[in-house]
Amino acid sequence: MITTGSKYCFGIAGLGSLGALIYMILINPSDVGVLALLGIAIAMSIVGGVTQFTGDFDADTVSDAITVSASAPANSMWPLLLALGGVLLLVGMTTNPIIFLLGIVVIVAAGIEWALQSWAERASEDSAFNRFVRERALTSLELPLLAGGAVAVIAIAFSRIMLAVSPENGAIIFIVVATAVLAVGFLIAVKTNLKKTSITAVCVLGAVALLVSGGIAGQSGNREQLVSAAAEEHYSHKDCEETASKYFDKNSEKTVSMKSGILATIRVKDGKLSAQLIGLDAPVATVTVARSNQATILFRNLDDEEHRLVANLGVKKVGETGVVEKIVDCTQMTGKNQTQALLLKINKPSASSGPYTFTVPGLEGQEIALVVP
Amino acid sequence: MSHEGTLPVSKQNMTIFGGVKSQGRLNRKKTAVMAFGVLFMAGCARDAPQDTWQPKGENASNINTLQWIVFPLAGVVGVAVFALIGFVLWRYRDKGQAIPHQSHGNPAVEITLTIIPALILSVVGVFTFRGIFQLAQTNDTQMVINVTGQQWWWEYDYPAQVVNGVEISQPIITAGQLVIPTDTKVLLRETSRDVIHSYWIPALNGKKDAVPGRINLLRLQAYKPGIYAGQCTEFCGLSHANMRMEAVALEPADFATWVANQQRNAQQPAQASLAQEGEGVFLNQCIRCHQVNGLKKADGTAAIAAPDENVYSGAAPNLTHLMSRNTFAGAAFDLVTSDCRKNIWTASPEQFGAAYLEGVSPKCLNQTNLRRWLRNAPEMKPMYADPTKLASSDGKYRGMPNLNLSESDIDKLVAYLSTLK
Ligand code: HEC
Ligand SMILES: [Cu+2]
Repeated sequence: MITTGSKYCFGIAGLGSLGALIYMILINPSDVGVLALLGIAIAMSIVGGVTQFTGDFDADTVSDAITVSASAPANSMWPLLLALGGVLLLVGMTTNPIIFLLGIVVIVAAGIEWALQSWAERASEDSAFNRFVRERALTSLELPLLAGGAVAVIAIAFSRIMLAVSPENGAIIFIVVATAVLAVGFLIAVKTNLKKTSITAVCVLGAVALLVSGGIAGQSGNREQLVSAAAEEHYSHKDCEETASKYFDKNSEKTVSMKSGILATIRVKDGKLSAQLIGLDAPVATVTVARSNQATILFRNLDDEEHRLVANLGVKKVGETGVVEKIVDCTQMTGKNQTQALLLKINKPSASSGPYTFTVPGLEGQEIALVVP
Repeated sequence: MSHEGTLPVSKQNMTIFGGVKSQGRLNRKKTAVMAFGVLFMAGCARDAPQDTWQPKGENASNINTLQWIVFPLAGVVGVAVFALIGFVLWRYRDKGQAIPHQSHGNPAVEITLTIIPALILSVVGVFTFRGIFQLAQTNDTQMVINVTGQQWWWEYDYPAQVVNGVEISQPIITAGQLVIPTDTKVLLRETSRDVIHSYWIPALNGKKDAVPGRINLLRLQAYKPGIYAGQCTEFCGLSHANMRMEAVALEPADFATWVANQQRNAQQPAQASLAQEGEGVFLNQCIRCHQVNGLKKADGTAAIAAPDENVYSGAAPNLTHLMSRNTFAGAAFDLVTSDCRKNIWTASPEQFGAAYLEGVSPKCLNQTNLRRWLRNAPEMKPMYADPTKLASSDGKYRGMPNLNLSESDIDKLVAYLSTLK
């Protein structure tokens, strides 16, 4: 007799071979697809043979293994939600990736809930106990997720408000709201005889106020200052001068934790400029950067004065005006023992408008050659 | 592909299996034994340049030492385990016998079966860790080369440095063939311009991924002069299989000669020659992707290639010294005829340097391959270089497109390219 387990295997093997045959005739006899299908067929024949040979997987033992739960499943909303998730998935595919993601989230959540519910329903004969195990398994999941969602909503709404109002008003709002939260919390803690409904009412009120003002603030956009700073590129326009600039140098990072992907390190020590390639100990006078590829140069300042590293990347003509403009890139002002990374992507070889160099404003007469072959 | 002998194993298998099939009278057992024997013997192929069991440099030797320890150990364990499984399957199969006595646990057996593998693994572990640290060593490096992968070829640039007393005063840039001095600890600093690739010259070291945005270090060192073949080992798209590379090791004196030549700019072809006409075609058709150092436009200014505007990776091979390498397009095709190729690959270590430095002489130039490439490159090496489908790759080619050149333009170009020594 052919056992149940091996029947499946032989069935798949047969289908695989048939599929391979059709593939060979219809598509391409020497395609990898044929190889894959034949591979499946061969693997399944072997597994089927072994199961058959060892007499495993008898029909009796399979039916023995299934113990049917006596109680019928309880009402559940999860199948419905699962279906909704499927719909969202399909709709999202054709409209909006966010709806698609929502569909995935709903499907995963409903799937987990449903699976755990039906597992809990079979846990014992006692339905009260079953509910208990379900809750114990699920609250550990639900609680942190819901709390995380709540925190995200609070953070987003509050940050919209703070970005919309002026810094002075922002400070006042912050103080008032924080004081109010503290006061209410204090009240609840001291007055133990407060009604549950009134506490809920206060919380709901606060939540609604936050959401509504957050929504309004989000609609009205950032405050004027931030909008104009973005428009005038205060934060991306690089002033590569010797002195610190008002915007670009404002919030320079103190450290760089980059370990891989660094091409060279350029240092200032005792007023001397030096460069070192990663992997080579001796200092070099020239740094080579392959064209059209991102390269990261670390700049480390070991002196007391602040310095910045400037990459001089030749010149370009501005439109048809004939005006020639220098192309430069630079790090922010770097204090003593601090490190900054300079990310370069140079598309034109140094032969085009070179020579290219690295310099440090204030250290006149010193440079490291930068060659783009 | 043009590299006869690069993949002899599969070829051998195919012909011998074909033979077996045609002699249909052999019974099954004999066929099985023969097939196994063929597979086994194929492992002993003589002309197998990518054999990991034939190290030709220090790092590969370290790996080889390790695999001579781990492989036999793992082999013995593997064979023993499978033999035991087979025996148990056979001996205790279901013959309708009564279920035997069931017992739980056997401390003596369990402890033995924990201690023996632990001992084996610690032996393997000690040697493995030693190997890892040996391979990771970079602090005694004598030379660095930047290696950049892109679909589907490798670019090498040699930063300015002094190697064994030879000064590389201006960075060198080349493609496909990596030229290194023998007995020198060379550090490759690998990265990529598009997708992940992996650099592997089996005779010199293991593989190391080239990842965009990162620099991974790989050390190579070759004992003797010669060519060592390898290929990209991280699937990187359509022509991954055609993304090969070769490391060429030269005696330090020969290496100095090579460096001196690579630092020269391209010579201007003679007035009114076919090559000069070819230069004109090159300036029209090819300069938008390929740089030739020293090449000037008609107005006397430097001709600067713009692969960043035309190729997805932003790079195309620098052709200044095309004829100094004897393969092209990701070392996938020969730039020399098969006779000349044989002379180079079979040259003794003493003669190799001279044979390689001769470059591609007019006599050796593989006109068939070069012309085929210029006529229709994507037909020779699959590439995403169809002008009608540029929208799917940001308006840029991945590879070299078919430029629909006329045969007379191809004649001129071949004459011009031959001057790029
Ligand atoms: C749109 C860009 C582009 C243009 C135009 C172009 N090429 Fe290419 N070429 C490439 C790319 C990319 C490769 C690398 C292909 C590979 O190996 O996968 C290449 C490879 C080559 C190679 C092999 C180089 C080596 O060392 O491996 C030669 C020779 C070559 N091209 C010659 C030419 C000539 C001659 C012309 C002008 C008729 C030309 N190419 C025009 C992009 C271009
Ligand atoms: Cu690759």
